[in-house]
Amino acid sequence: MSALADTTAKAPAGRTILQAEGITKRFAGLVSVNQVSFEMVENEILGLIGPNGAGKTTLVNMISGTLKPNEGELRFEGQPIDALAPYQRAHLGICRTFQVMKPFPGMSVLENVTVGALFGRNGGEKATGKARESAREWIEFTGLSHRIEAKADSLGGPDRKRLEFAKALAMGPKLLLLDEVMAGLNAVEVEEVIELIKKMRERGVTILVIEHVIKAIRSLSDRVLVLNHGEKIAEGDPAVVLEDPRVVEAYLGRRRQ
Amino acid sequence: MKQSVSIILALVVVVLLVFVPWVASDVMMQFAIDALLLAVLAQAWNILGGFTGYVSFGNSVFYGLGTYGTAIAMTNKYMQLPFGVGIVLGIVLAVLCALVIGLPILRLRGPYFAIATLGLSAAMGAIVSNIPIAGSNIGLVLPLIRADTMFYELSLALLVACTLTVLWISKSRFGMGLVAIREDEDAAGTMGINTTAFKITALVLSALFTAVAGGIHAYWISFIDPASAFDPTLNVRMVIMAVFGGPGTVFGPLVGSFILSAVYEYLASSISTAAALLFGIVIVLAVIFMPRGLANMIGGVRGKGPRYFLQNIRENRL
Repeated sequence: MSALADTTAKAPAGRTILQAEGITKRFAGLVSVNQVSFEMVENEILGLIGPNGAGKTTLVNMISGTLKPNEGELRFEGQPIDALAPYQRAHLGICRTFQVMKPFPGMSVLENVTVGALFGRNGGEKATGKARESAREWIEFTGLSHRIEAKADSLGGPDRKRLEFAKALAMGPKLLLLDEVMAGLNAVEVEEVIELIKKMRERGVTILVIEHVIKAIRSLSDRVLVLNHGEKIAEGDPAVVLEDPRVVEAYLGRRRQ
Repeated sequence: MKQSVSIILALVVVVLLVFVPWVASDVMMQFAIDALLLAVLAQAWNILGGFTGYVSFGNSVFYGLGTYGTAIAMTNKYMQLPFGVGIVLGIVLAVLCALVIGLPILRLRGPYFAIATLGLSAAMGAIVSNIPIAGSNIGLVLPLIRADTMFYELSLALLVACTLTVLWISKSRFGMGLVAIREDEDAAGTMGINTTAFKITALVLSALFTAVAGGIHAYWISFIDPASAFDPTLNVRMVIMAVFGGPGTVFGPLVGSFILSAVYEYLASSISTAAALLFGIVIVLAVIFMPRGLANMIGGVRGKGPRYFLQNIRENRL
């Protein structure tokens, strides 16, 4: 009861961009996401946290369209999107990164990002020359210019994350879903990624961040949503939610009396 | 820069090839027409197998439909249509088939797609053997014509058209989409690529050129039967030639098919008994030493000379 009361602490202000109502996903009897409802408003950063197996990635997969919910409804800018294929959602401006990076391995960095520019929001830029130019800009933005001709599979961890960002940004996202982009990065690199995410937000992008790095969640998120065993257990101001006993318990277990 | 050099080179080669019939012997012409048509098949396969990453063993179905479409239109006693109309009928059959089978079959990936297409070519042969209008299992005899020069120029024109299409693909938004599908189909979808539409378009283009090659071959050979029209080994040759030259490149499949056609012809004429065996050895060696094809050896960023081959062996743990 205390957990959900936090919602009022910082009620989301602004125009709603994403609405999820009673989203449920079952895998052969296992309920991965159970009756989750939440909203995102334009240009906010929502942190999505929870222990392993809590259903965070499943939720993102349902928003981006690679999985279909068994129950519930998703609306993007007021429009129901449940019937849309992933590519149609990308055309609306819903873009994502993958927890397991999915660059096109045989393509160069420039080509990878160009694909994003060619096919993103509204079907993307139709002229390959223009798409290439905007791809160059995004590669510059993410600080990957020095590897622009490198094959994607030759990149190391941090550069791969940059590439993943650049690809997503080149699509012209309205809503960006970042699935554990900081996993495996060292402290300095985490700091860089945090800056990058802030820069994206300044450009008007609404961002959902799945992250285990609590420090990053604390410094980035306007609000935090906590999932445990597929259920929403808390939502609201990060400072409050992260101290919530139920959240602490979900992550660390019950304190011994 | 490098691209423009190869385009000029290609133009010169095409212009020279146009004049071959005036200097070549009859035997040479037989070989040349065969080689050109095989190159078309390899290049058409390249659109689907090379760029999109869908290894098809069903292209012989489109070849067979092109063959039969042309033959039926020209020989059926109610039609007796000219060759050009026959080709169009062949294209229509192949494209319809590509559209109908494309939707279910392109949902399969990797080996499953390959197996399904293989089954398809076997089924098609059996079906056609039982259709009276297609001459059942006896086949059809087309009007005899001695016009090797015409067949040669037609085949050459078809190869040029097919290669120009592939060149366009390699530079276009459409082609970028195909390559993205090849590299990671799920990621391609979430990046806004309508993967179904792209794959089916690739299949239809591949089917179209393959069918025309079948139609030309049918009129040239003037006799077709289900076994030769839906021959799965023909499909194997397309794959070998495209992969030998470099799948997913514009000129690789051409170079690959010309070289392999020449090697096969040479072996068949000099040591006819062991030709198939030696041809097999050539292919095995090629796959071991240059699994990414000739184009990668020339245009790649890896080691030069012997080091290139050693690198390949090391990477593939052979």
